[in-house]
Amino acid sequence: MTQVDLTRAGSGVPSSARMTRPGPVARVTRRGSGLAKALDVALTMPALIVYITLMVVPVGFAVYYSFTRYNGIPSQSPQWVGLDNYTRIFADPANEMHSSIFVTAAIAILGSFLVNVAALGLALLLQKRSRFNTFGRAVMFYPHVLSALIVGFLWQALLGPQGAINALMDQWTGSTLPFLSDPTWALYTLIGVIVWAQFGVQLILYIAGLQAVSAELQEAARIDGANRAQVFRHVTWPALAPTVTVTIITSILSLLKVYDVVLGLTNGGPGDATQTWAYEILAVSFANNRVGLACAQAVLLIIAAAILSFSIIVMRRRAEEGAEAVG
Amino acid sequence: MNRSNRIATTVRIVFLSILSLAMLVPMYIMVVNAFKPQQEILLSPLGLDPATATTEFLAAAWNSTQFPVVEGYAFTIFLVIACNLIAIGFSIPAAYVIARTPGIVFAILLMFFVAGMFIPAQIILVPAVFVLKALGLMGTIPGLVLFMSASMIPFTLFIFSGYIRMLPRSLDEAAAIDGAGRIRVIWTIITPLMKPIVATAFILNALSAWNDFVSPQLILGPGSPAKTITTGVYAAVSSYSTNYEIVFPTLLLAVAPILVIFIVMQRFILGGLATGAIKG
Repeated sequence: MTQVDLTRAGSGVPSSARMTRPGPVARVTRRGSGLAKALDVALTMPALIVYITLMVVPVGFAVYYSFTRYNGIPSQSPQWVGLDNYTRIFADPANEMHSSIFVTAAIAILGSFLVNVAALGLALLLQKRSRFNTFGRAVMFYPHVLSALIVGFLWQALLGPQGAINALMDQWTGSTLPFLSDPTWALYTLIGVIVWAQFGVQLILYIAGLQAVSAELQEAARIDGANRAQVFRHVTWPALAPTVTVTIITSILSLLKVYDVVLGLTNGGPGDATQTWAYEILAVSFANNRVGLACAQAVLLIIAAAILSFSIIVMRRRAEEGAEAVG
Repeated sequence: MNRSNRIATTVRIVFLSILSLAMLVPMYIMVVNAFKPQQEILLSPLGLDPATATTEFLAAAWNSTQFPVVEGYAFTIFLVIACNLIAIGFSIPAAYVIARTPGIVFAILLMFFVAGMFIPAQIILVPAVFVLKALGLMGTIPGLVLFMSASMIPFTLFIFSGYIRMLPRSLDEAAAIDGAGRIRVIWTIITPLMKPIVATAFILNALSAWNDFVSPQLILGPGSPAKTITTGVYAAVSSYSTNYEIVFPTLLLAVAPILVIFIVMQRFILGGLATGAIKG
């Protein structure tokens, strides 16, 4: 049960925190010696080296390659072309990239909205502890342990023109729906599948957040005559603000880079109707050896992710201050 | 009041039951169709006729050369454990130093690591391929493990340093007075106290390693004999995605064991996630 771990983790800290008393010991460990400092630095090194080599240096590479024309073949060296890759992305002369910006924005905005609404709504229904609710949480969460690629293939087999659902509809109503064969339908089908696979994670975060909301405050509001909707609106929702910030940011960040599920479900089609920005980077630019262009697209995605997260954090700051007031 | 409460409870249970069923329908369709020939799948996707049910297609998927199921599972489990060992093993000492040393340098260092949480691993993989090539690690399993570990370090280190900050300093200091050095304090005092947060990091990292498709596909290459579950499924299914005799049995083999693991460990996994949500 979720609660068990929560209380264990929660109660361990205050009880041991009681032992924190400023005592005479407090200064003994102050180390003036350079040797201790050197050891400190050495202890951070393994993590730092791996992180810098394979995450930070690649960002540097991406920025550098984004200003070059490079086909990735070792015998050839990158050729400096200045801002060419970026102007190409913004002008989009062959009219192939802008649609993927629209697709990605639709998935990120509509998808994270639906994920959060479904997750919060179900969290309110499943927050109490009972056998039934434990079962319910597991059922809502399980798609997340199947990888996104497998989720894509599975729904492709269910929703394809000859798939199980269309076969049933054909038998029962005599007509079928173009879930994956019509460009507009395919985009909404993709968003639906993503929501199906992802809302369970946010559901668990919302339940954890709801359990941290003060039960006494809710009870007090109820005694003062507030009905359920009012308790939610004036007590639960404001106290939930930090959780909402986390769930919005994590869902938008994960939806900005959607790739595996697209590969399984539609492989970008029909046409380019479901090609996301990550699909454009990995399966179009990089797969066609246009490393410079792929890196420029990657840099833009990272900048977009950073700007979005930063502005959400800033926008949510006021709501979170409200949460502290509610306590 | 009492009666309307009871009605509300009934409505809630009915609604959640229908939704749970809807969530499980894809699994049901996958399971029953794994035992049927194509023609029957197309004609009656929901039923399973015991007279014609066959394990022929399941056996074919099990013996598929593109997706060696047992090796795929073994390799994926190896990746989960190896990446976690590196990410957690490297993050504990670094997080300890960052959490315990006052001063601007280590605060900036923490920010430097946290920034990595906003870099999508599968996107940064494109330039990382060239770093791995330069190091001679491209196409190798150590290269794959190191890249996946690197992408786990920012989050792991972030939740660890937050957790260590809440542990009382007096513990380390008492041990230091007794003559324990830095490494001994980390190993014998701090690490045992970190069990809940280590479990959370392990679960989250394991889920991301388990589900990762792009890293093994790009770093090892599509032709590599070492297949994870995801790259194996891709190799076996992607060219035959309308041949349901292949799709359903392959998917069943790919998801059944992990679903069993999930059902057995369900409390542990969801509990660990919830702990992470509160600490993160």
